[in-house]
Amino acid sequence: MRAPADLERVSVRAYQVGFGDCLLVSFLYKRALPDGRTERHVMFDFGSTRWPTHGRTRYRDIARSIAKRTGGQLDVLVITHRHKDHLDGFADDKAASTLEGLKPELVLRSWTEVPDGATEHSAARGERSRRFAASLTSAQDFALAVSRSIPAGERRRAIRQLSALAADQLPNEQAIHRIDEIAKAARLPARYLHAGQPSGIEPLIPGIRVRVLGPPTLEQWPQVASQRKDDPEYWVNLRRLLSQSPASSATADAASGATSELPVTPDPGPVRWLVERMREQQAHSLLRIIRTLDDALNNTSLILLIEAGDRRLLFPGDAQIENWSYSLTSPRHAAARRAELRDVDLYKVGHHGSRNATPRSLLELWEERPRDVVSLLSTLPGVHGRTEATAVPRAALVDALTRVGPVYRTDTLLSDRQFLEVSASAYGVDTFAPND
Amino acid sequence: MSPAAAFDEFAFDERAEDGSPVPQTVSLRVIARDPAVTLGGRILTATVRVPAERLEPGPRGSRFHIVDYDAARDVLQPPVELQPEFYDRFADADDSTLVSDPAFRAQNVYAIAARTLASFEAALGRRLRWAFRGHQLYLVPHAFAEANAHYDPEDGAILFGYLPRAGGSEITTSLSHDVIAHETTHAILDGLRPRLAEPGLPDQLAFHEALADIVALLSVFSMREVVEDLLGSADRDGRIARRNLRREALERSALFTLAEQLGESTAGDRAHGLRRSIKLRPSAAWRTNRVYDEPHRRGEVLVAAVTQTLLSMWIERLKPLMSGRGADRARVAEEGAKAAAHLLHMMIRGIDYLPPVELEFEDVIDSVLKADEVIAPDDEYGYRVALRDAFGSFGIHRPREDQLIDLTKTPPPSYARMNFTNLRSDPDEVFRFIWDNAEVFDIRRAYRLRVESVRPSVRVGPDGLIVGEVVADYIQTLELTAGELAERGVELPRDLNGDTQLQIWGGGVLIFDQFGRAKYHQRKRLNDWKRQGRRLDYLVRYGLRDSRGRYGFTVSAPRGQRFASLHDDDAHAGEEW
Repeated sequence: MRAPADLERVSVRAYQVGFGDCLLVSFLYKRALPDGRTERHVMFDFGSTRWPTHGRTRYRDIARSIAKRTGGQLDVLVITHRHKDHLDGFADDKAASTLEGLKPELVLRSWTEVPDGATEHSAARGERSRRFAASLTSAQDFALAVSRSIPAGERRRAIRQLSALAADQLPNEQAIHRIDEIAKAARLPARYLHAGQPSGIEPLIPGIRVRVLGPPTLEQWPQVASQRKDDPEYWVNLRRLLSQSPASSATADAASGATSELPVTPDPGPVRWLVERMREQQAHSLLRIIRTLDDALNNTSLILLIEAGDRRLLFPGDAQIENWSYSLTSPRHAAARRAELRDVDLYKVGHHGSRNATPRSLLELWEERPRDVVSLLSTLPGVHGRTEATAVPRAALVDALTRVGPVYRTDTLLSDRQFLEVSASAYGVDTFAPND
Repeated sequence: MSPAAAFDEFAFDERAEDGSPVPQTVSLRVIARDPAVTLGGRILTATVRVPAERLEPGPRGSRFHIVDYDAARDVLQPPVELQPEFYDRFADADDSTLVSDPAFRAQNVYAIAARTLASFEAALGRRLRWAFRGHQLYLVPHAFAEANAHYDPEDGAILFGYLPRAGGSEITTSLSHDVIAHETTHAILDGLRPRLAEPGLPDQLAFHEALADIVALLSVFSMREVVEDLLGSADRDGRIARRNLRREALERSALFTLAEQLGESTAGDRAHGLRRSIKLRPSAAWRTNRVYDEPHRRGEVLVAAVTQTLLSMWIERLKPLMSGRGADRARVAEEGAKAAAHLLHMMIRGIDYLPPVELEFEDVIDSVLKADEVIAPDDEYGYRVALRDAFGSFGIHRPREDQLIDLTKTPPPSYARMNFTNLRSDPDEVFRFIWDNAEVFDIRRAYRLRVESVRPSVRVGPDGLIVGEVVADYIQTLELTAGELAERGVELPRDLNGDTQLQIWGGGVLIFDQFGRAKYHQRKRLNDWKRQGRRLDYLVRYGLRDSRGRYGFTVSAPRGQRFASLHDDDAHAGEEW
């Protein structure tokens, strides 16, 4: 076994994907490894829901850039969760083919992503976890129904917001199918991880250690899901409700002898005034419901803590507080996890800088540190959140991150830049800093 | 009861014509807690009395208009007619009718909302205004497909959600007593103190939540049927054993059980401070726990203090009933319900003495005690002591600095140029009065001042005599930069740019006696720089700035949604940005 000191440097690229994530982590060694290469590469996610208006970077350009940087060999592909802004790039045939050609040896996903019938992966989970995984599919069907119910060209702001958020939750079947194919072709069997499991990365990348901090299964940490919403029936009932037309309801009531409902456009007067306003309220209600699905999917994110020499790098995908709370508050693990998290050097900011993906208690761990915690923020303002309180990125969070170290943001990249890159020595005292 | 008999009993309009007195209230059956709570296999219901009034189909009265429109399915139920042939058609209805008949949910929301408003009006001695322009608050009992409900100030409505469940049943929030009382309280408080929803100190929004929970709790507890059920079975003489009437036993049997039952069906979707607050042990530790920066969680502290007060009051009232073998169950329940009703009125009466802005929990205990001292100077049963002790056990004490000033003990203001009649009703006249006497009231003329409302109040004291007052609220505002605030001695939060625009507030309440003389002044000085520093620190820490990056100004929310997220499950408390 080689001495760990052979690991010399760690470099992280965040590609300009607008509102989404695509990161490449490269480990550089002093001497060639047994296969003759001097580097190892881990790719995290490949998706976007909104591209910046400037620049012309697209998925296939990014795939080519990754191919060039890795010298045609990707070691590990990590898909943190199934949201479009993390995997949509795999639905681009050319881009996906390029990445397929990099022949990743291992593909990692969350335990919620076990394909149907792959019982060898799901046997370890309990009934509640299995039900939760099933509920995600039902929930995405509901999002599809919502998306289809919105007429094209709708101009009202709340409905446009709803339309955009519902679209983010759609199943992404094409991309997932392509990832499945890449995973099948990999040398090592695909892994579907939950908190505490071995990642399987270490044998491929000498000198590093990876801890899987999340997501917990529901047996490990029931708080990771809302009890009602982890029931597939909840989403089925909502979808049924959405599809009920006034005419069909009236018929059903007539058959049961109930009083018929009234026409949906009442006579002019206070009732009509309210009904017209409540139709707009309905968009907000659906937005709230879809947000719970958005949160649920975000909470399926893999959280990986990579120890590379003296450096610690934290990649939480879009994990929300419920997922984090397993590491930060569970009586069994919190003390050890907090000690490890305190020493993080580089933090990929969770969920593009939203208000509930970087727990305050996580940031507090870094406030008293003598060294900087460098943050990488892949985001695009103006996509989510109409008000200051809901805007992504959340200004108060960015301010707080800035207090513990520099924050490098993809949205501030010049239009001719495809990525931002920071690196640091693997050993000794060093801070991640831009390469140029 | 047959419809005809009920008609004879309740057709009050007709009764007026035959010369008998016009009834002031009518009785309506409501669900006492939540449809999930049953007694002997049946939903526990209660009959409550609500103010009688002319009701149009809806029902639509002078203060509420029930519109059963379901926005999720886009269907509208026919309006329910409770008059002119008024009778409680659900007096003997079976459970399946109660949970499935849209007319009952209309009656249920109407009756509980009207009862809640009546409690406020009785305690404050006047008709109350809504915050929106209009007299009738819409109540929508089946509004959207969520197990939640919220007050919508822009549309002047309370929207109650529902959630379909497997097997065709559903969770219907308009059948949950505490949800209706809670949301109605938000609407009432928004009318009384509209500025409490503005960005302010953390106690401010917490008070909105806490009062809504306190009213919900006490309103449910003030129904004798509910308390009797909570006490459990009696011995064959109808008694509850002495050991079961001790403080810990009553807390466990009555309050803990009630807490579990309230909101049982919406747990997980809607934050339920009530459930946690009743179990909160007295301590001041919440002040240094970030979790309690979240309004719901912070509000729990106030609710817990009120709950402890209720227990003390109840136990005090039980003493004369106690024999060696305990006490009669019905009487124990009655005393519990009376204690709850009394405490509810005490809490509501305190609102008039609250500052209109910059509210802190210390102001709440100060105002409630002062309002009660005015109406019941003797405190015969030690209620104020119980309240003060309970708040004190959570580290909430009357302010050391005298914020509530007894003007009969200070140099008198000048009335030389005042018109006493106008002073009782006209904001401009009250402004003139303050302007002329600014030094007496220690109010700086340099800051913009606006008298927001002048409201008469008539209350009946325990001696049966009338206590008449006029309550005038004013606010002061100042816009300046963070740097200019620092020049006034405020330590700015780390990294706050000196050019950041700020809006700071002050304000107060002047209470006039029946002769139009100012007798109390409750105030939060604008130039209390220590408090302004605390507020700014909180606003910056939680990013409560407007879309232009300014602190202290109104933070915008989409139409109708200002209160919508207040009741989201608060599992993230203290961790969000």
